[in-house]
Amino acid sequence: MTTSVLERPRTQWPLDRPELDSSAMDDDKLTEPDQDHSEIEAEFDAIDSEDIRRGAKRSALPPAELRRLFEEQAIPFMDQLYAAAMRMTRNPADAGDLVQESYAKAYAAFAQFQQGTNLKAWLYRILTNTFINGYRKNQRNPYQNTIDDLEDWQLGSAESLTQGRSTRSAEAEAIDHLPDSDVKEALQSIPEDFRLAVYLADVEGFAYQEIADIMKTPVGTVMSRLHRGRRLLRGLLADYARERGFAAAEPASPRSTT
Amino acid sequence: MTDCGCDKAKAELEEYLHRELSDEDFRDVTEHLENCDDCTGEHLVGFTMIVKMQKACQEKAPDELRSKILYSLSNAGPSAPAAE
Repeated sequence: MTTSVLERPRTQWPLDRPELDSSAMDDDKLTEPDQDHSEIEAEFDAIDSEDIRRGAKRSALPPAELRRLFEEQAIPFMDQLYAAAMRMTRNPADAGDLVQESYAKAYAAFAQFQQGTNLKAWLYRILTNTFINGYRKNQRNPYQNTIDDLEDWQLGSAESLTQGRSTRSAEAEAIDHLPDSDVKEALQSIPEDFRLAVYLADVEGFAYQEIADIMKTPVGTVMSRLHRGRRLLRGLLADYARERGFAAAEPASPRSTT
Repeated sequence: MTDCGCDKAKAELEEYLHRELSDEDFRDVTEHLENCDDCTGEHLVGFTMIVKMQKACQEKAPDELRSKILYSLSNAGPSAPAAE
């Protein structure tokens, strides 16, 4: 019975409730010899705490060289960042704005980026932070802050997990037949924090620790969000498959003996 | 035979899919999957979800956005905040 998985998470959810106030993480900010950029750094909360902890120094490269590096290294992530922004904002106009704003911040802070470290994760931190601090505030969903506190049964959509073994490969096949639009819609229907965790792990392949850094939340919370997000997603995909008449994805209710 | 059993396999399947297990646990689960249809089916569902999501999320940034961003680089230095 797979539900047992839900009952025994390896993490002590919900004891690892994330610190919602990320500013606490900035206490260890080092004083920079070059004070000109302190304002920028304050703004780029997404960037500095990690980089400074790792002892990042401002690059001594001339601006033209930094720009060349930025175009060569950061710009190629634009499609990926845009796809992520689409899942975050759920519409092309906001996604475009989000990507543009993130690139502006990344470029302005690029001198602090330490060459040789993970640029993709750095860019995703900026993107995620920009989204959470800007766009999410505007479309604040009161449901959002409490999502980690909900019980599994309150989240619903778990019926597909109770299927018998014979239907699992059929379920996989039904999911496999779904059009991309259904998959995107399902992903966009799950609560935002779950969606971000699932996206970062499943689509982008970030390690749990990297996701924890990007989302500024403990690894245990990442695992909980991932688990519950994937569970919701699976239920939705089963629903869509059923609506499309893929018999394979029948609900948990006892199948009529055929 | 050190089959880890369904409980452990299912509890760790998600981390298995995400390559987050230690080598030892990874081996245990792999071994269990070879011998258990139920868990193999469960793994297949999880794996299919990942593949489908990756395939579905392949949007390309619109050309207009790309040129807007590239253009803005010429008006903002990496040592100064982008002029807004």
